Amino acid sequence: MHNFQFLLHGFQVVFTLQNLGATMLGCVLGLIIGAMPGIGSLAGCALLLPLTYKFNPTTAIIMLGGLYYSNMFGGAFSAILLNIPGDTPAIMTALDGYPMATKKKRPGQALLTANFSSFIGGLIGMVILTFTGPALADVGLKFGPVEMTTLLLFAMTSIGWLVGENPTKGLILTLLGMLVASMGMDTLTGSPRYDFGNVYLLGGVPFTPFVIGIVGFSQVILLMEQRNIAPQMVTDKLTLRGSMITKHDAKRLALPAIRGGILGTFIGVLPGAGATAAAIMSYSAQKSFKSEEPLGTGAIEGIAASESANNGAAAGAFAPLLALGIPGSGTGAVLLGGLMLWGLNPGPLLFKNSPDFAWGLIASLFIANILALAVSWGVIPFLIKILSVPTKLLIPAITVVCIVGSYSTSNSMYGVIIMFISGVVGYIMQKFKYSYAPLLLAFVLSPMLESNMRKAFIISRGNLDIFVQKPISLAFVIAIAGIALFPIVRYFLVRAGVMKPKAAKK
Amino acid sequence: MKAASAEKRHFSINQIVPVISAVIAIVFVWLGLSKYGFWHAQQGPMSGFYPTIIGIGLFLMSIVGFIFSFKDATPLFPKESWIAALSALAIIAASFLIGLIPSVGLYVILWLKWYEKYSWKTTLITFAVIMAIVIGCFVLWLHVPFPRGFILDAILK
Repeated sequence: MHNFQFLLHGFQVVFTLQNLGATMLGCVLGLIIGAMPGIGSLAGCALLLPLTYKFNPTTAIIMLGGLYYSNMFGGAFSAILLNIPGDTPAIMTALDGYPMATKKKRPGQALLTANFSSFIGGLIGMVILTFTGPALADVGLKFGPVEMTTLLLFAMTSIGWLVGENPTKGLILTLLGMLVASMGMDTLTGSPRYDFGNVYLLGGVPFTPFVIGIVGFSQVILLMEQRNIAPQMVTDKLTLRGSMITKHDAKRLALPAIRGGILGTFIGVLPGAGATAAAIMSYSAQKSFKSEEPLGTGAIEGIAASESANNGAAAGAFAPLLALGIPGSGTGAVLLGGLMLWGLNPGPLLFKNSPDFAWGLIASLFIANILALAVSWGVIPFLIKILSVPTKLLIPAITVVCIVGSYSTSNSMYGVIIMFISGVVGYIMQKFKYSYAPLLLAFVLSPMLESNMRKAFIISRGNLDIFVQKPISLAFVIAIAGIALFPIVRYFLVRAGVMKPKAAKK
Repeated sequence: MKAASAEKRHFSINQIVPVISAVIAIVFVWLGLSKYGFWHAQQGPMSGFYPTIIGIGLFLMSIVGFIFSFKDATPLFPKESWIAALSALAIIAASFLIGLIPSVGLYVILWLKWYEKYSWKTTLITFAVIMAIVIGCFVLWLHVPFPRGFILDAILK
């Protein structure tokens, strides 16, 4: 009941012209960016981060929250109309969305199914977030440096393990991100460290230009390879009237969307899992339930399961982000970095010290959910034009935003140079199948981990036993050991024929 | 079978990332131990403590990554991808001379007209939209003091 009152207070915070305008702007930009193949929510948030500097922290993060959230709506558009997911969580949506648009000639209905399912999934996620967020923060209040160290290690290990096909590559990037983050100043003593005699490096590697480069500029270099590919649209005209779904369609989508929303939210809460894992798991789970048509042939149930799960996960991911300061994905890391830039420290005390901000953000997600549904409905007649923007025109536009945006964050060409270097490094990494998400997460979480780890060692006078003497940290140590040992156990189980080998990705 | 596995053991660009990450790890561990300090008897962990531990972890993972890298398919790096990177480098260089905003404006026109061979109409419309975003958001709204470049600085002096 208290949470409900806090949420109402959050709505009071959001209901200012500036905050509502920021949410609306975030939703519109998120939908457009999410719909464009190859950009995605991570690059979208990174590119728009400099624009939020004009706002106060609450408005800024509300806008980014709306952008991140509506991006999940937008990702389905290109998945359905082009068979190219705008963002990775929409991969599963394409499996049924595209056949529904092409074979069944119901592109508008496929889009509306995705929109409504996203709305339902997101709503479930937000309701659960309203109650689990503060509860998680209460648990977090019991965490000292020892528990925080093991929790952060657990988050980083699971991130490295879950992202990408190759856990070794994930771990290399996680560790690399931690080292890059340690450049500049010592987190405890403030003495210079790893500055290599460069005055600019004394402040460390600046977060925003680094993120813009790694996810935005690297994407520009990658887009050069597909700039001559013209998008193949399933239809040349979409109308609102022709996109209406029937009562029967609504009945078919309701249950899978509710199931997907619940499942997605709980997966979203897990560190390192994220919306993509939620969509995949929900789609797989839907196979065990009754669908009117087989999944993969344009079934409404398939679209509903995957879309509701990825939006549920997007909302659920805010629980560990706000309550423990642990982002669930690369985009979460950008949001966390943004919070820190504005002087807010996400963690157990956020709900107590900055209730306006925490509850305002949660309330803004509810509003963003409604706005994203309305806007995504409204843009249906214009979608063909939005999706037809050639990559050749996007390349100079994104390049300019990367350069100007990274300059504006530091008011120095140093920011642009960092953006350029990290962009080239990000491109090379992606070509070698290294996913940048673990690098970003580690970069953001590393200062917190170092500070807690050193405090834990100061308390224990260097004794490692402290990590297994406390029940919460012992649980995390066991989980870390489980994650670390799983590939080895799986290897032997596969060799013994007990387990099937991992299917190679196409 | 042996021949096939021996064939796979050829060094290629696949080993670049683990080798570079191992070198970075060595630098961080060496500096951590020699310059910043690892452990103090009274104060506990010092500035080099955490980076040294992470560096050792990275070095070990780089060795594992190096071994596995022989199994990876070698990626292609098309020349035209680097043109995007080179153009950004050209903008950075030009900004010292003519300023950042004129540099990005010039880049948009040259890119669309000369590289992509778009018509003047498309080029100018795209240029107008991009510059409206840049000037509207960053110059007028955020008041970012963009560099004016040597030439304009010299004239204004």
